[in-house]
Parts: sequence; structure tokens; C-alpha cells
Amino acid sequence: MKEERGMPIAIIRNLVKTYGSKGFQTKVLKGIDLTIYKHDFIALMGPSGSGKTTLLNILSTIDQPTQGTVALDGQDLAQMSNKELSKLRRNKIGFIFQDYNLLDTMTLQDNIALPLILNGVSSQACIQKVETLASVFGLSGHLKKYPYQLSGGQKQRGAACRALITEPEILFADEPTGALDSKSGRDLLECLKMVNANGQATIFMVTHDPFCASYANDVYMLSDGIITCKLSKGAERKEFYDRIMDLQASMGGNGS
Amino acid sequence: MTMVKLAFLNFKNGFKHYLSLIISQAFTILVLYNFQNIIHSRAFEVLGTRNREYIQLLMQMVSFVLVCFMFFFIWYSTNVFLTKRKKEIGIYAFMGLSNETIGQMYLLETIMIGLSSLVLGIGFGTLSAGLFQMILMEISGLSVEIQFLPKIRPVLVTIGIYLAIYMIFAIKGYVNLVKSSVLTMILAAKQNESFRQNKWLLLLKGIMGAGILGLGYSLALKDSRGEAMANAFGAVVLVTAGVYLLFGGMLPIGFQAAAEKKEFLYSRKRVLWVNNMIFRIRRNYRTYAIVCILMLCSVTALALGFAMRERYQSIIHFENTYTFQLISQRPDLDETARSIIAQDNEIISSSRIPVLNLDQSRIEDEEYGQEYGILPYSQLQKLAEEMGMEFPFQELAEDEVIKISHMYLLSMITQRSQKEIHINGQPFCQVTDVTIPYLGYLQERMSFYVVNDFVYERLRPVGEELYTYNYKIGNPAHFFQTRERLDEMIHAQEGDRIARVAIDPNSNELDWIKVLYSICVFMFLVFIIASGSIMFMKLYNDAFEEKERYQIMMKMGIDQEILKQSIAAELATAYGVIFFVMAVSSVFSVKALAKMMFSDLTLVNLVSVAVVFAILLLWYVLSFKAYGRNVGLRGK
Repeated sequence: MKEERGMPIAIIRNLVKTYGSKGFQTKVLKGIDLTIYKHDFIALMGPSGSGKTTLLNILSTIDQPTQGTVALDGQDLAQMSNKELSKLRRNKIGFIFQDYNLLDTMTLQDNIALPLILNGVSSQACIQKVETLASVFGLSGHLKKYPYQLSGGQKQRGAACRALITEPEILFADEPTGALDSKSGRDLLECLKMVNANGQATIFMVTHDPFCASYANDVYMLSDGIITCKLSKGAERKEFYDRIMDLQASMGGNGS
Repeated sequence: MTMVKLAFLNFKNGFKHYLSLIISQAFTILVLYNFQNIIHSRAFEVLGTRNREYIQLLMQMVSFVLVCFMFFFIWYSTNVFLTKRKKEIGIYAFMGLSNETIGQMYLLETIMIGLSSLVLGIGFGTLSAGLFQMILMEISGLSVEIQFLPKIRPVLVTIGIYLAIYMIFAIKGYVNLVKSSVLTMILAAKQNESFRQNKWLLLLKGIMGAGILGLGYSLALKDSRGEAMANAFGAVVLVTAGVYLLFGGMLPIGFQAAAEKKEFLYSRKRVLWVNNMIFRIRRNYRTYAIVCILMLCSVTALALGFAMRERYQSIIHFENTYTFQLISQRPDLDETARSIIAQDNEIISSSRIPVLNLDQSRIEDEEYGQEYGILPYSQLQKLAEEMGMEFPFQELAEDEVIKISHMYLLSMITQRSQKEIHINGQPFCQVTDVTIPYLGYLQERMSFYVVNDFVYERLRPVGEELYTYNYKIGNPAHFFQTRERLDEMIHAQEGDRIARVAIDPNSNELDWIKVLYSICVFMFLVFIIASGSIMFMKLYNDAFEEKERYQIMMKMGIDQEILKQSIAAELATAYGVIFFVMAVSSVFSVKALAKMMFSDLTLVNLVSVAVVFAILLLWYVLSFKAYGRNVGLRGK
């Protein structure tokens, strides 16, 4: 694993998560060790029930581990109060959900600006920042629209904008292309790749789609609650995609 | 499984979801039923014919507002219900059921909901009517027997009105379903409403609303004579329509404008709730409007109650100006009467004044059925001095009169001065109309015109001059004894016509005003509970729909405290806007009331509004708590 890189953002040690009551317990995560560094673009792959979403939920502070430690930005999540966790989520973490989770009562502009507004940023600065980021994601012409007036791809790019507007330490994405057609999915991934390459975002993405994963720099395979292997991208995305496909085939899973 | 069984099963399983619909409809039924109950109760039998007519007219107006409310409310709720059910019903279409069958199933379910509401409404209505009877007895210590226990007519009228409205919309839903394609049914639940409405259309609606509201206000305050009833009824209709349009137009346009001003929207986290308001207002404005109108009714009812109480006190005082009054052709009765009364009592004050009794055909005035006497100016001035009463009039010109009348409890005639009347064929200008009790109880029975002394002399030959002798005693302990002695004296005066008035200070014949007062307080309670609970129900339901949105915001890491503040601001705005429109409207409705009752009700208005504010605050706190819980915010 990449222990030689710069500043670590998330450090996960011996992470175990068990569900169910005594006697009927299911171990979903069976001891995960993982470190995410600044400027990483990681994709986590694995078949259904392998624990991908559970790991993401724990990392994004929505769920708590049964054992082990998770530290985000140097702070142990287990030691933090609800209020501190809220603050952490608001300031240090960005989310992209599979089903966009835009607020349908607000225009796209208001949706993207929301995290800034809540952080007390001045109205003028909010408007400025939203416009800048929206142009990166090709949404400048859609800011006045409501989510129901946007296509799935536009919504998801809007969600990505909202997640990135506060310049979070890390961006978590849960199957971000899951509900998109291939063109929209590609557009989104290109945007994510660009902001990552520009040094604007560290991205941790959960996906079952090898094509989607091939946009990342590193791909971790999760199987039955443990990380079984890791692939790193070379020069070519296409070649990386083939390797991911080969790995999936050798593991015998369909990855979904 | 038969269709009825299937519909019943659907109804049973979905009961939890329909509960708020059922309860709020039941409440409107309860209110309407209670009204009908009062209109048809014997409470009004104790009122004089005229007063009864007025009060019943008022009740009819309020009933009109309620029926309007019921109409819009049922329209709205059945529509929401239809949209919600369409998708589910669409699945049946895939299973091969025809649209007609699906429509019938919907109709059956709707009828079940309607019947449940009806049973609950009438049931609780009967209970609350009984409760009201107890409260009424308690407040007024009644001498009037009122039966509020179930009477068949109000029940039938209420059921009739409700079912008529309800079935219109149930059948409308049925027709809608039969004509729908399967696709629209499936897509119904996913239909995206456009949140922003056409600005110009809204503006037009808002301006029309403000205009109609203004027209309603001016109609309420208009000086009127014969057409007063029509005016009052017109004012109610216009204000109701005006408030609807105002809420449907001005509110959305206001919030939309606010949402476009990003500097405003983005500061103080307004973005969280202003957008929600825009989203909600389109569906909620009818509810807001009706709550506003109900609250207006509530304030007016309370103001009427307060005013009735005040008036009761003043009428008591009015009737107690004199204990005994004699009317006779004889100008020399004073000594005889005085000696009889002084035997057992202390005479506190007394007066004497001639009254010219004209044949009533010689006086022309709009107030038909009223009898008149003529008083000379200087004699009345003298009486006022003797009795220590105010006399704020200048010497009258030969074509001027002052009208002295009784206090109207509630009058639909609001024009009191600069009115032209005719006495003995001559035109006179009525300078003013006062209710100072110069002639005590006599003023209850007839009105008087005060004329210039020369005019009086001129009129003397065409009428009959009578003298009134007025006495007020201190302790009423010997009232009946003295009255008997006076009657004996009157019998002894053969050939002379003498009329006697004796007012027992302990009499309770004005109790019906107290009844009316309690009815007003009850109305107030019904209205305020109705408006509060409708608002509460609406917000309670909205909160469930908001849950998903709040979950997203919590996932985004928005602090629960901030979300609570946003809910507080949103609900405060909804309640606040309604309260504001109500408070402004109440100034006019209470003013109209004040004109009818000839008194200044400003203070009464302020107090009533304050009371409503306090109760509304309570509803607000309740709504806030429920809302927070329903959207999934955890307590501390």
C-alpha cells in the first residue's frame, strides 16, 4: 500500500463491522487496513455483499465500526461527538450519492451553494464560487433550473459540484454513475478526473463498474469483508480497464 | 375477492395514511354541525324577533364561510388523495382491471373515508354540543332553557351539505380515473410540479385579491340603511374571495422574488426554508387562506362577545336610569307620585318633561315599526341639568332635529347623521342620533325627536301632549310595594289616562344577552381550535413529505440545530403571514361590528387579536415539535 506518499487523510486500522444481535451476527468487514493520501483517486470494487457500502458509510461517519479505528484528518472518529461529526461532514467531507440527493425544492444554483451558505460564506462569494465550479462541470447554463428540469447526468454533476464546493479534504462517491447512461457517466468521470488531477480533490469511490473504476488511479478489490488486492494505473486508462476486467474474471465475480 | 372487500381492505390498510384527512374533514363537519345546531336551537327564541333575525343572519354568514371552506378543503384533499392513489391504482390496470372497475374501487374507498369522517364529525359534534350546553349554563347561570342534544334537523342539514360537496369531488375523481390512461396513472406520483408559477398570472391574482379584499372592507364599513344586510353578506363573500386570491397570488410572488435575490436568500440560511415555502405554497395557500378566514371569524366572534358583555352592562345602566316612570296628560302628577314613592323609598333623582305624541303617520323615517315622540329643546336641556346628564348640543335651527333613541344591540342601519326625515310633511335634517338615557326605559320602547321650541309649539295642535314623570330610588327593597301603591293611585284617577313603567333592578329579562355572549365565546373557541388544528394537521402531514429532504440535509452534515432553526423560521412565516392578514382584516370586521353596535371596539379588537395570538403561539409550538419529529430530527 502507498505508505511512501505525502499527507494521509484517512487511516483505517483493523476495521471490523458486525451486524445483527448476539447469536445471529454477520461479520461484514473482517479487518480492513487502508490509508488514503492527499490527491489519491481510489476506486473500491467488489461483488454484492462484499461490504463496499458499509466501508463507505463508516468512512463517511454515517455508521460506526464494531472494532478498529478510523481517523479522518488526524482525528479518531470514535472520540468525536455528534456535533463534531456534523462539523467534520460539513467541512472536510464531500459526498456524491448514486441517486444524486439534490434537494428538489431548490434551484441547482442554490443546491450547490448550500454547503457554503451553511458555513457562513458571504452571498457574493457563494455566487462567485458556484459559477466558477459550475463552469468546470459544464453546468453554467443550468444553474437556474430545478432538479426535475435536469437530466440524470446534469443532476449528478450538480451533486459533484455541491460536494466539492467547500473544497473538502476528501470526496466520497457511492456508485456515482450507477443511475447514469454511459455518456453521462463518462462526462462525470472526466470531470472528477480533472479536479483530481488539478489537485482540487481526493476521491474515494465505490463502484461495481470496471469502466468507472478505470478512471481512478488505484483500484482496491474487496471480497468477503477483506481487501484482496490492489491495482494501480499505468500510463493508459484503456490498458488499466483491461487489467481490471482480467482481475474480475480471475476472481470469478461479476462485480455487481 | 369482491371489489367491495378489496376496497375495504385498501381502506383498512391505508387507514393510518388517511387518518389526518379523516380527522380534518371530521373537524369541519363538527364545526358546521355545531353551527347548525345553534341556528336551530331554542337559544334564539328568547331574543326579540328583530334581534333574532340579525343574529341568525350573522350565523348564516358564518355558515356560508364554513361551507366555502368545506368546499375548498374537500376539493383539495380529494385531489391529493387521488394523485397519491393513482400510481397504486395503476398497478391494478396492469393486472387487467378495467378503468371503470378501478374507478369504482376508488369511489368505494373514497366513500368509506367520507363516511368515517361523517361519523366522527357528527359523533364528536354531538359530544361537544353537550359540553357546550354545560359551559353555557355555567357562564350565564341561565334562566333560558337551551337544548343542544342531538336534533334531527341540524344533523340532516350537515350531512346533506357535506355529502353534496363530497360526492361532487368523489364522482369527479371517478370520472378522472375512468378517463385516465394507464400511463398517466403510473406516472401520476412522479409528476413534477413546476414550483415557480407564472409571475404575471400570480401578480394579476394578487392584485385582484387585494382589490376584492379592499372592496370587501369598504363594503363592511359603508354607511347604509336598507341594504345593510346585503352589504354585510357581500362583505363576507368578498373578503373570503379576496383572501383566497391574495394568498394564491401575493404569497408565491413574494417568496419567488425573495428566492431570486440571492443576497437575501443566502444570508442567515434563508435558503433552507424560503425555497420550501415556494414549494409548499402552491398547494397550501388554500389552507392558509381558510385558516386566516376562520381566525378572522374567531376574532370577530370574540370581539362580539366582549362587546355584548359591555353592552349588557350599559343596557342594565340604561334601564336603571329611573325606577318608576309615569306618563299622563295631566301636568300636575308630580306631587302625588312623589309622595307615594317617598313613603318607603329615598328618591335619588327625578325629572319631568312634556312629550308631544304625534299620530305616527305624520312621521316618515326608514326605521319602520318605530314609534316617535317630540321633545322641546329647552325642556330637555333642563332635564339634563336636573339629572346631571351631559347635553352636548347646540341650539337647533328650525329645520333640524336630534334623534334620541335606545341602544341597539346590533343594528344593520349604520347611517346616523345628515339623514332627512319628515314630520307633519315638513323636511328636517337629523343632526345626530344619541342614546343618552334622558327618558330611561321609555327610550327602549320609542324614539324621540328633539326640535326647536318654536317648532314644538307649532306642532302642538296636531298632536297630544303628555307628561313624563321620572323617579329613581336608592334601595329597591320596597320596589313591589311601591309599584302596587302607584297602581292603586292610577286606578283611582278615573278618566285620566296614566301609564306606569316600573323597572325592577333585580330583573333578569336581559339574560339572553348573556346567552349570546357565551355563544360568542363558544364560537371563538370553535374557530380558533378549528383554524389551529387545520394548520397543525397540514404541517404534520407536510412534515412526512419533507422527511426525505431532511434526511439528505442530515447526510450532508447539516447540523440538527440549524435544521430546527430553519423549521422554526418556515413555520413562523406561515403562521405569521396568516396572523398578519387576519389582524389587518379584523380591524375592518370589528369596525363594521362597532358601527352596528354604536360603540368603539378598538380596545376589544386589540384584546381579541392578542388572545388569538397567544393561542396561535401555542399551536405554533405544537406544530414545531411535531414537524421536527416527523422529518426525523432527533431530540436532544
